[in-house]
Amino acid sequence: MRISTEGLLIVLAFTVVLVVELRTVLAWFNLELTVFESLMFSVALIVAIVVWALFPQDGSRDTDASGSS
Amino acid sequence: MSDATVNDAAKTTESTTSEPLGETYLDKFPAEAKVVRSALYSSFLALALGGLFGVIQTLHRTDFLRIMESETYYTVLTAHGVFLVIAFTIFFLVGVFTWAVTTSLDREVEDIRFTWAWLGTMTAGAAMAAAAILAGFTDSLDMSADVLFTFYAPMQAHPLFYLGLTVFVVGTWMAGADWFRSWFAWKKENPGERIPLPTFMVLTTMIMWYVATLGVATAILAFLLPWSLGLIDSVNPTLTRTLFWFFGHPVVYFWLMPAYMMWYVLLPKLSGGKLFSDPLARVVFVLFLLLSTPVGIHHQYLDPGISEGFKFIAMTNTMFLLLPSLLTAFTVVASMEHGARQRGGTGRIGWLKALPWRDPVFAGMALAGLMFAAGGFSGMINAGMNINYLVHNTLWVPGHFHLTVGTAVALTFMAASYWFIPQLTGKKLWNRPVALVQVVLWFVGMTFMANAMHRAGLLGMPRRTAEPQYDGFEYEAGVGSVAELDAQIALGGIILTLSLVLFFAVIIGTVLGSRSDEVPANGYADTLSGPEDSPKILDNLKLWFGLAVVLVIIAYTFPLLSIIERGGLFGPDITAFPQSIDIVSMAWLTVEQYATDTFTSATEVAQATIDGVLR
Repeated sequence: MRISTEGLLIVLAFTVVLVVELRTVLAWFNLELTVFESLMFSVALIVAIVVWALFPQDGSRDTDASGSS
Repeated sequence: MSDATVNDAAKTTESTTSEPLGETYLDKFPAEAKVVRSALYSSFLALALGGLFGVIQTLHRTDFLRIMESETYYTVLTAHGVFLVIAFTIFFLVGVFTWAVTTSLDREVEDIRFTWAWLGTMTAGAAMAAAAILAGFTDSLDMSADVLFTFYAPMQAHPLFYLGLTVFVVGTWMAGADWFRSWFAWKKENPGERIPLPTFMVLTTMIMWYVATLGVATAILAFLLPWSLGLIDSVNPTLTRTLFWFFGHPVVYFWLMPAYMMWYVLLPKLSGGKLFSDPLARVVFVLFLLLSTPVGIHHQYLDPGISEGFKFIAMTNTMFLLLPSLLTAFTVVASMEHGARQRGGTGRIGWLKALPWRDPVFAGMALAGLMFAAGGFSGMINAGMNINYLVHNTLWVPGHFHLTVGTAVALTFMAASYWFIPQLTGKKLWNRPVALVQVVLWFVGMTFMANAMHRAGLLGMPRRTAEPQYDGFEYEAGVGSVAELDAQIALGGIILTLSLVLFFAVIIGTVLGSRSDEVPANGYADTLSGPEDSPKILDNLKLWFGLAVVLVIIAYTFPLLSIIERGGLFGPDITAFPQSIDIVSMAWLTVEQYATDTFTSATEVAQATIDGVLR
């Protein structure tokens, strides 16, 4: 893992803030997302972050257990 | 150093505990630990009840689940407010303050019986106020206190509510006296020594509290309690509101300053470093002491009967209050950065990754601090006189204080509990991952709830109502719809409730566990720049107390005189709502009835006797 499980949890928490606030911010630029679009965007972003976090660094599988302890 | 190296360094440090093991607070101060534990348990009970009423009113207001009539909404809302912002916060802080004074002065309290006496007084007061509030749920008792946290006249509560609040506040005054007594005794033995920082924070906070509570004590003892007892016919609502806010704004800092204390004395230690500056921390607490009270009128921008000039002065004073908060943000972040760099963190923002995010105590407090920044920004909108007109009495305001007291304070207290309960019980924290999930869930839940509340407030949606929708009127949402905002608030409420359930699971699991040797040693953060770097005048509490009183006199004399001149001390003849509970008249009627009955019986007996004699 690139970051620890706990680190991932914190990053995902910040992602929630980002996606909740982003909808309002985008509306300022006349980019109005529906709830469905917003949800899809959130899911895509969260999946991308999880994949990035789980993907082994430097192509080798990270066996460090501290990330999930 | 590359990011990977930073990561590895952080992991290595995190895999072992960042705090040294050793003598706990329970080991060192067993008698005081019992008092602090009892105070914290009382606060947790209030948190459980307040949280339960919170989710009930959230789901009712958003129309997702209605298990009560809308008339009962105000009983629920009063219970939610009073249990959380009075009982939960203050019981918790008196526990923490006792810990702070005994730990930093390294001495027991002077008389543990007195310590128990003030806790008992507070508990009795809280129970009386709670009984009056909860009686509102039943019609079989002629008692209610559906007056919300602000208890504005003409809304009237049962005398027991006001009496309970008074007894509770008297308990806090006694607690303050206890801590001052400890300090006086310590000072005698350590002449010329600087006041240890945690004790300094407690004493300045308590001076602020003594000054602030004079307002609410006057409002209750001189007006609201006699009015609810039927001793006086009427009160001047503007006067009692102004006296309430004389106390109502500084009470915000009474909740917040213990949270600040945790950020100053625990967070740097948990980060693995030291407090950046002891002198700056002292300046911050002195500024709060001076500036917290003379600003209450900023809660009354829309009140008629107070001139615009006084409101403008209150606004100017309020803006100065941003200074100690910004100083705190700088000092706390600098301390955390120092800690992170000690743990191997590098780079302009890369050091953030080296912080102990897996520690629920650290993560909860850090997330709470972050939320407080957002709450501070919405607070600036509230404080600005002209912009306040846009959001006054709308859902924006609950959105703001759910970020401040509802997160900055509540989340810090919950996270701190994960440090304090092991200290007070000698037991290892039960399930740290669950505790971490709990604090993160609170952060996420409040993100949903507070965002939607602020946005709904901008649409003009009112606060303090069970039925925010009106027939024949539709709010024009700039983004999304009102239904979405309601859904977001309800979702936030459910996530927060889930977080509370996890909090109690961790606390109960810890308390039911067995004694452990793996509890960190009691203590608080060392400093990079200590008290020796600050001018001694900062420790002159008499000076700051005097200045605080002068500022209050300047800020309040003319507004109060003007209110009394316009409306009189007892105001126009207002009608109490929901009803006047005239105990004195009821007692008089009872005595009169009893006397009449006795007289009638006596007359009958006398008549019978006379008849018998005459025969």
